[in-house]
Amino acid sequence: MTTEFKINARPVRVDVPEDTPLLWVIRDDLGYTGTKFGCGIGLCGACTVHVNGRATRSCITPVKDVANSVVTTIEGLAENGHPLLETWVEAQTPQCGYCQPGQIMQAAAMLRDFPNPTDEQINQVMSGNFCRCMAYVRIREAIRMAAQRMQAGSGRPQEADHA
Amino acid sequence: MSKRWYIAIAVLAVIAGGLALAVWEPAIPAADEASRQDFSPGQVERGKVLAGIGNCGTCHTVSPDKPFAGGVEFPSPFGSLYSTNISPHPQDGIGRWPREAFVRAMREGVSREGSHLYPAFPFTHFKNITDEDLDALYAYFMTREPVAYTPPQNDLSFPFNLRFLQWGWKLLFFDPDPWQPDPERGEQWNRGAYLAKGLGHCSACHTPRNFMQAEKKDRAYAGALVDNWYATALDESQPVPVHWDRESLYEYLREGTSRFQGVAVGSMGEVVHRGLRLAPDSDIRALATYTESLSGGRNNGNSRQIAAETITAAQQRARSEYSPGEELYVAACAACHYNDPQDPLAVRAELSLNSAVTADDPTNLLRVVMEGVGTGAGTPTLVMPGFSTLSDENLVALADFLRERSNLPPWKNLRKRIGELRELHRQSQPSATGKAGEQP
Amino acid sequence: MLKYLTGKSSGGAHADELASPGRRGFIVGMAGAVLTLAFARSPLSLANPDKTVAEGAFDPTVWYWIEPDGRVVVNIAKAEMGQHIGTALARIVADELEADWEQVELRYVDSDPKWGYMVTGGSWSVWKSFDPLSRAGAAGRKVLIEEGAKKLGVKPEQCRARAGRIIAGNQSISYADLVRGGGISRSFTDEELKQMPIKPPAERRIIGGQTRALDIPGKVDGSTLYGLDAKVDGMVYGRPIIPPTRYGSSVSSIDDSAAREIPGYRQTVTLEDPSGTVPGWAMVIADSFHAANQAVKRITVNWSPGKTTGVDEQAVLDHGRKLIGTADQGVLALDAGEVDKAFNDAAEVLESEYVTHGVLHFQLEPVNAVALEKDGTWEIHTGNQWQSLIIPVLSRALQVPKEKIVMRTYLLGGGFGRRLNGDYSVPAALAAKAVGRPVKMVLTREDDALFDSIRSPSVQKIRMAFDGDGKITAMEHHATAGWPTQVMAPDFMADGINGKYDPFAIQGALHWYTMNGHRVRAISNDLANDTFRPGWLRSVGSGWVNWALESAIDEAAHKAGEDPIEFRLRRLKAIGRNAGSAPNAVGGAARQANVVRRVRELSGWGAELPADTALGVATSYGQERNMPTWTACVARVRVDRETGRATVEKLSLVTDAGTIVHPDGARAQVEGAALWGMSMALHEGTVLHNGNVADTNLNTYTPLRMRDVPEIEMEFVDSTETAVGLGEPATTVVGPAIGNAIFAAVGVRMRELPIRPHALLAELQRDSKANREA
Repeated sequence: MTTEFKINARPVRVDVPEDTPLLWVIRDDLGYTGTKFGCGIGLCGACTVHVNGRATRSCITPVKDVANSVVTTIEGLAENGHPLLETWVEAQTPQCGYCQPGQIMQAAAMLRDFPNPTDEQINQVMSGNFCRCMAYVRIREAIRMAAQRMQAGSGRPQEADHA
Repeated sequence: MSKRWYIAIAVLAVIAGGLALAVWEPAIPAADEASRQDFSPGQVERGKVLAGIGNCGTCHTVSPDKPFAGGVEFPSPFGSLYSTNISPHPQDGIGRWPREAFVRAMREGVSREGSHLYPAFPFTHFKNITDEDLDALYAYFMTREPVAYTPPQNDLSFPFNLRFLQWGWKLLFFDPDPWQPDPERGEQWNRGAYLAKGLGHCSACHTPRNFMQAEKKDRAYAGALVDNWYATALDESQPVPVHWDRESLYEYLREGTSRFQGVAVGSMGEVVHRGLRLAPDSDIRALATYTESLSGGRNNGNSRQIAAETITAAQQRARSEYSPGEELYVAACAACHYNDPQDPLAVRAELSLNSAVTADDPTNLLRVVMEGVGTGAGTPTLVMPGFSTLSDENLVALADFLRERSNLPPWKNLRKRIGELRELHRQSQPSATGKAGEQP
Repeated sequence: MLKYLTGKSSGGAHADELASPGRRGFIVGMAGAVLTLAFARSPLSLANPDKTVAEGAFDPTVWYWIEPDGRVVVNIAKAEMGQHIGTALARIVADELEADWEQVELRYVDSDPKWGYMVTGGSWSVWKSFDPLSRAGAAGRKVLIEEGAKKLGVKPEQCRARAGRIIAGNQSISYADLVRGGGISRSFTDEELKQMPIKPPAERRIIGGQTRALDIPGKVDGSTLYGLDAKVDGMVYGRPIIPPTRYGSSVSSIDDSAAREIPGYRQTVTLEDPSGTVPGWAMVIADSFHAANQAVKRITVNWSPGKTTGVDEQAVLDHGRKLIGTADQGVLALDAGEVDKAFNDAAEVLESEYVTHGVLHFQLEPVNAVALEKDGTWEIHTGNQWQSLIIPVLSRALQVPKEKIVMRTYLLGGGFGRRLNGDYSVPAALAAKAVGRPVKMVLTREDDALFDSIRSPSVQKIRMAFDGDGKITAMEHHATAGWPTQVMAPDFMADGINGKYDPFAIQGALHWYTMNGHRVRAISNDLANDTFRPGWLRSVGSGWVNWALESAIDEAAHKAGEDPIEFRLRRLKAIGRNAGSAPNAVGGAARQANVVRRVRELSGWGAELPADTALGVATSYGQERNMPTWTACVARVRVDRETGRATVEKLSLVTDAGTIVHPDGARAQVEGAALWGMSMALHEGTVLHNGNVADTNLNTYTPLRMRDVPEIEMEFVDSTETAVGLGEPATTVVGPAIGNAIFAAVGVRMRELPIRPHALLAELQRDSKANREA
């Protein structure tokens, strides 16, 4: 079964069974290994990517469901640059780092909906992303810093949303 | 078996045969294949829009390579019906149906050959379509690509397999007089009513049916389970905290999303994204105006305030409850569904307002949670993963929590329904044993 | 299988690229090969890190080199799993070398005997490496100064090194220029290196400063490669089907007929394991992980199961109680003072039982490994914490010499001790051997949980004797749990008074409170050992031992009617066996008293608090008396009397870990460790059911998430004492601090971890009933 979509601004056509989770297509067929496998049931967020600009758990999203979509992974976010990537380094957020791409993708999506999030909003949205090193204090800090920077007018980062 | 039985059966057969003759409609002679030049391009184009509003393609297309060729299964307690081929194929389709036969089928539910059609085909609504619109539809269908395909035979149990019995059904439940505009109402409302009651056949899904599969007149738009999707209530009983008004209905019918009530998926997703896609804004607004009136004006124009209060209450009700359902909600749902009470976003479907959570039937919520939503199933840019990997116990806990969060009683028989829907989902999956697809 | 319309992926670098060494420009001590570093020659003794174990011949080696462009590349033979260990170690080298920190790079090395004994755990890395790496850096500086002096035409005494340059008066020359000039060759003998002078702490410029961790950028942009990202040519995927018991199961039949039509499914092999690591395992082989997963759903395996199929949590705990009740079981780790006399003379004896349940490592990257044979050498690509332990096991499993096995190094998606036990590399290797091609084995989360070497459930009994004045005179501490070291690394068992014991399963019990008598008995729970493979999990024994100890001390304080902090301070005296010793435990109990006093100030101890809200304290020396990390915690907890839920509002922590090499990393470690402690106290825990853990994924196993994070306030004691470990100690104090706060808030004593709301509610109800009746 052939499915077409864009990943990190590049059009791709993959020929895999249509129920293959998007995660494995991204990692094993397309080679973007920044997106991680954590729980496999959509409860940890390590596999979070953007589908049409919205955070989506790729481990339980069959590839057929993103046909004609625009998928962005951490590599795509990094290519375009994003304040979160800077503040994540400045706050020295990652420990083992394994969940961090998913955390950043979730946070990037959140900042579109909540450009100036309260701690309550950060907690509500980000609690779906599990960090086993429990680097939560710095994840929150890095998000706050990025929000401030984006508010200060360096502009909101661009990301193609739609096919 | 005694001889008397044979006699009884013979007598019954004679009576039934006589009845059959009495109720058999005359066949309309097959015409030569209608030629395309008979129709103006404008007429065909209008027919295309109308066919969309009528959502003809959804019921009459089993796969994209066979448009309008029928074959879609309609399961019922009495067995399965299959939609017919309405492409202009001379043998398999309606290619040799003269206009008169087409009109009779649409308005009276009788095939060209004279047999009665089952009311799964909504002639009970199509009777309200004007001559002009029927002409346009006829023009549209006659200019489609003929598809050689014979749908499966209906598979109904006795006596429901006797088509002539539909005559009796019509006698009981079918009023052939067309709907008349209400002069008390405005033009927009009347246009909406015409579309909804006629071609759009909205109540075919949104109204519960009696044991004979006829719409319950006294419960129009009270919500019903159709094809394993729940068509939500649109009448004054609608359980959504923020009642539908013409703005939210317009947004929903046009875009497939409404920030206060939810996102169109499943059958309604098809209606919005395939059916109504080409309909002019004026018709969408007319439908919204009419649909709004179904609830008797329950929306007082304070949607934002009600939404804010409802969301705030839900968030406080659920705060740090740490029940199994709440922990699942935090891990699986909140990242995308959490909202600022003052500004719920359509793409972050707010679950305390959402019609899938507040409906009396859990089907929509369970299906969306288990199956997810792909680009092909709903709003083209909206994708939700499917959580079918959660256990039945998890799903019950999550559904109970979402109901509790919305201050609603738990749904009953959840486990059984989850089992049924799992089986449905399993059957809808491509066979794991199938080939992996063609090589590019 | 896949066709790009345009472009090429940016990920998926071949694993070999990661390990390819750069061109070496300058290597200290290359010629003559006598740059000797202490931990190249002296493998770590796990049981007694002071003791050297004569294993592995010395292979002259190097810990860093300088490229002609001036980059200083530091070889890291430790596993990076979030502790930024490479940064900490590189800072030690760079400080003495007076390198330009901007030019420092890390290289995580593959296994090789030249790196000495390879293990990352026990919070030992900085502690063990500090001195040898400092001296190696100092040696480099000495050579560069001598070389620079020659080039600048001055005497070495006139030169100083700073930020990658040798400076003499107005002139200077960069390390890069010196290296490019070529011809530098110096060697140092072992003795010379040991004598190599290092800078006084006041002269340190990189250690202790605010510097960013070198491993972070790659973790942020997704370019860092973890074991799961390993990829080799021609590999197929393996997904195991795990037997019903950890040991003793054997496959009796496999029916894969329903799986054969799945595209990409190849075969299912039964693993033959001479090492006994994964008995009864079957491995599904397919072209993709998805195909393997689909196949697993359709394959039926029948086993003849091991004898532990019916074992549940209660059985393991009850067995522990029985062992504690049997006097001749277990090993005395300590029997100091007049314990029996104290109990005989006691006016009163307080006896309490403490229980902890199983904890999953749940490192977020499920265990995985790629295995292949290339030219007679086996390569295992995986993230691992203890290469030197698993290579001999792999050698037995594959039946090839140890020298023919290389562990390729990847970063770890979480360690926490799970990957000290490298058992997961064995099934990958056996599968690759069976199918004759590279196999990438990936465990699902559920597989990972079933195969985890969990923190064992534990039962402890603490008895305390009090004299007529209500003063505590002696303590007996009996602790039983599964013993990881006994099962996996018996060479590292410690000598007790009457036998060998697992030091990791009782650490934390050898406290620094002065008492007339103190007896510690450690008991291996053999039913636990038989049912699952007990694991080392962040702070290991201290994680449950200190729960009992610090809860008991609190009970004693309340019994004596004393303030819990005053009670502790009165007994933390640097006298007798608690006086401390150089170099690691200078100051002894006085330093523990100091952190307790500091946390009293930091937390606002004694202030008025709202109803049902209170502070609780706990303290610890970390894991080992000869490597103490002095830690104290105060938790502010509010109890909801209606739901039984305890909410942690604030944690205050004070740590004295001697010299802090990487302060920001230290804070991160303490933050993470403290939240782990809180998670294990209130949020996560599992039980055994039918021989396996009952919870295998986040749908029922619910560790702490962001919304649960309390306010955290911490402080490090400013110190130039020996740098000790930081990764674990905070884990050990949070649980008892919470339990003690609950008691202070609502007067009920919780003695079981995790503290579940229903259990707390039941205690509250029992308490109020008792009060009514009283």
